[in-house]
Amino acid sequence: MALTFPFAAIVGQDEMTLAIQVVAVDPSIGGVLVLGDRGTGKSTAVRALADLLPPIQVVKGCPYRCDPAKPADACPVCQAQDPKSKVVSERKSVAVVDLPLGATEDRVVGALDLEKALSQGIKQFSPGLLAQAHRGFLYIDEVNLLDDHLVDLLIDVAASGENLVEREGLSVRHPARFVLVGSGNPEEGELRPQLLDRFGLSVQVRTPQDLKLRVDIIKRRDAFEKDPAGFKALWHKDNQKLQKRIVKARDRLAEVTVSDGMLMLCARLCQQLGTDGLRAELTLLRATRAFAALQGQLSVQAEHLQSMAPLALRHRLRRNPLDDTDSGARVQRSLQEVLAA
Amino acid sequence: MALNNTSSQQSLDAWHDALTSLQILQLDPHGLGGVCLRAPHGPVRERWLSALASLGLPLVKVPGSADAERLLGGIDLAQTLQTGQLRMQAGLLQQADQGLVCLPMAERLPPALLAPLVQALDTGQVAATQHASSPTVTRFGVVALDESLPDEPSVNAALQDRIGLWLDLQALSPSDIDAGLDDSEDDALQIRLSPGALSRARAQLKQVQASDAQVHALCASALGLGIGSLRAPSLALRVACAHAALNGRSTLDDEDLGFAARCVLAPRATQWPAEPSEEQTAEPPPDDTEPPDPPPTQEPPDNTPSKPPLGDTPEESPPDTSNEELTAEDLQEMMVAAALASLPAHMLDALATQKGAKTSNTSGRSGQTRAGQQRGRPLPPRPGRPGGHARLHVLATLRAAAPRQRLRQAEPLAAADTSAASPRKRVAIRAEDFHIQRYQQRSSSCLILALDASGSAALQRLAEAKGAVELLLQQSYSRRDSVCIVAFRGAQAQLLLPATRSLVRAKRAMTGLPGGGGTPLALALKMAHEQAALLQRQGVTPLLVVLSDGRANVTLQGLGGRAQAQADAQNWGQQWCSSGHRALWIDTSVQPDAQAKQLAATMGAHYLPMPQVQAQRMAYAMDKLRTVPA
Repeated sequence: MALTFPFAAIVGQDEMTLAIQVVAVDPSIGGVLVLGDRGTGKSTAVRALADLLPPIQVVKGCPYRCDPAKPADACPVCQAQDPKSKVVSERKSVAVVDLPLGATEDRVVGALDLEKALSQGIKQFSPGLLAQAHRGFLYIDEVNLLDDHLVDLLIDVAASGENLVEREGLSVRHPARFVLVGSGNPEEGELRPQLLDRFGLSVQVRTPQDLKLRVDIIKRRDAFEKDPAGFKALWHKDNQKLQKRIVKARDRLAEVTVSDGMLMLCARLCQQLGTDGLRAELTLLRATRAFAALQGQLSVQAEHLQSMAPLALRHRLRRNPLDDTDSGARVQRSLQEVLAA
Repeated sequence: MALNNTSSQQSLDAWHDALTSLQILQLDPHGLGGVCLRAPHGPVRERWLSALASLGLPLVKVPGSADAERLLGGIDLAQTLQTGQLRMQAGLLQQADQGLVCLPMAERLPPALLAPLVQALDTGQVAATQHASSPTVTRFGVVALDESLPDEPSVNAALQDRIGLWLDLQALSPSDIDAGLDDSEDDALQIRLSPGALSRARAQLKQVQASDAQVHALCASALGLGIGSLRAPSLALRVACAHAALNGRSTLDDEDLGFAARCVLAPRATQWPAEPSEEQTAEPPPDDTEPPDPPPTQEPPDNTPSKPPLGDTPEESPPDTSNEELTAEDLQEMMVAAALASLPAHMLDALATQKGAKTSNTSGRSGQTRAGQQRGRPLPPRPGRPGGHARLHVLATLRAAAPRQRLRQAEPLAAADTSAASPRKRVAIRAEDFHIQRYQQRSSSCLILALDASGSAALQRLAEAKGAVELLLQQSYSRRDSVCIVAFRGAQAQLLLPATRSLVRAKRAMTGLPGGGGTPLALALKMAHEQAALLQRQGVTPLLVVLSDGRANVTLQGLGGRAQAQADAQNWGQQWCSSGHRALWIDTSVQPDAQAKQLAATMGAHYLPMPQVQAQRMAYAMDKLRTVPA
């Protein structure tokens, strides 16, 4: 198994690492979209995500990684089991599944299991990438270049949380609840608004211009390439620390309170920015709560809102094509006005 | 062998670097990402490739026609059909483990192959597929052979970014090599390291240390040359280390850094390193101000062919062993100088256009635009007889046959389509199982906008036209169509925006457009014509929209003269007409007259006078042009 660069060793790109941690605390926020130039550590950070996540309990032998505690939304395989028999569970690390650009529809949604069909003449479904990503993360590099038919597919599954396959005489329905993580370079194409809306947070990464920072990054990268195992061991402790922080934050999440005043602020902000629908407010609320939990606090403060508002709202603004200002700056401006009022 | 000609000296250096790259590849085939070789097919490339083949590294060629299954491994259909049991085969990428993947015509590689390739390159493994539950580790380097012409899209940027060494042998002629190597012919044969030397150098590679000042200098040089990606300095460091190990050193030397600067950093340069504090997205210098040529004459004429001379490195500083004494600034200066010396003249000019062309890259595949069942986005296969243009969809055929196998095995082979030789263990396929492949032809189109920015087209209208284009771009996403803008004013027509779908770029290009000057209509039509030809080659249908009052007063040569200018414009209008592409002329003058109308008629264009430009109406008209069937 190839080793990934440890998350704790990532230098700079604070906004991106923060967004990823916040989503790790509360996956219901709905994923992260990372936009920026090439070679800025987008994919490194996302692939390192698995480090941050504590293992989960899954039903043993289940191809869909069902949650033993929730038999209600079990997959077809688990439902077929005798309900009286005891469910055996095992610990597995959370999946971070790569969806390559050129993937076929077969590969993504799953298809007829050819092996079984050919050797035994049995019609059986072989799960695809969406099934693998259940209860985990689905990472799409260059998401803005994804083929339209795959985008349509993803939009539907990401919204409903289940994958419905009706093809080749198969009719299968299985749960596919995953967090979408996308990255791309906006210079190469725009994202469809519908898909944009499925992402909870969006981050703009830029090439670090600070020379010292760049030197640091190159040095660490070089150390990692020379001795991946040694480097990973070196950072193991820090990674564990990060993971503990996230586990703690998850436990605390339910206790974090949001005052009515804060909710009012959120609503006013979204109103002023003219975001469509209520998804913006909901995402903002969840994100600030997760961020407060991550910070070890039990109530949401204005400063949490200040850090999370650009992330949660930036990609939901109506864009004026003639306005060149960064949407994040617009959010900040409105936030200042709302806070001052 | 006195080589007075500096350009042939420079190309000889490029050849030496190309050979040194081969040696470095042996040390660390996968760590450096590989080589991107830009050269036309010819004796020079052949020579390099034969040297590559002689390295003894596993070398797997991936043709553009390979499918993803072959690339990543999957079902071996021939075997499976023959034996009636599922047989798997290793993919090309797995076969290339610890070796190299060679991509001929890399610039035409379809995204369906590129994406998994890049992913495997990144993660060092081929992801688990439906048939292989666990990922297989494979580490390989890529040798991308780029044959693209200067105005064509080059290798996909995502792949190129991950490849360390970029070599450009376009300017090299075979006689240059022969002239340079006449006395040391066997030098080329010693490219392959002996096993002993190889293992020594590999052991050495682990020991090579770079000082802080050197790493600092690498990063600063990359920043100074406008290279945003952090992969570049990272790869440059590895290349420098490998170069040091090759020469038996355990610390980095000026020569190592110089090599890395020439082969890794210089080809990626996007700006002249005069003002290093500029933003990395700084505009490349405009076409008319040519970057000052690096004075290549200071090169000391010491061409020891085995070791590439170091460009115009300040040789006076004695190569002291303790590099710590050299400050990072000195090193940086040295590396930037080395990088600049290796840049061919006008390279930055070329970069400015190449960058735009690159983004429109990806799907490659030119040829006929409408080929029915041959190309396009695949649709689900449907039952049918193969033959003629219809190709058998093997997988779908097997799927259709699969559920009936038991039944068919039981029944006697009465009317067998399969050979009756050995009925056991064979998949019984009947004619009714046959499925054929279908493709949906998505005729994507590109709108070429010729935008009159001259003085006669008032500024107000220019702003309106900009608005219309942006409206259009917003609509075009769902259709996956693109827009390309040619602006003309004064004595020249300018390709303001190569075919793109990106709002961001369009916006940036449009806001910077100034107005005023003459109306070089002929030049604009000529450029539009060239763009149309280019697009057609990529399988995109071009459409032209001219926004002008049609009062041409600048000739093809960029001179004044109304009569000649009109004649030239008529000429190129005729050219457009003969190309058979659709066009729309929006007359923006306040009092439309016959001139523009006549020109539009010559071009075979629809004519639409619009004294008061309305962005909405304009966008609607353009939109109609592309939706109306030809």
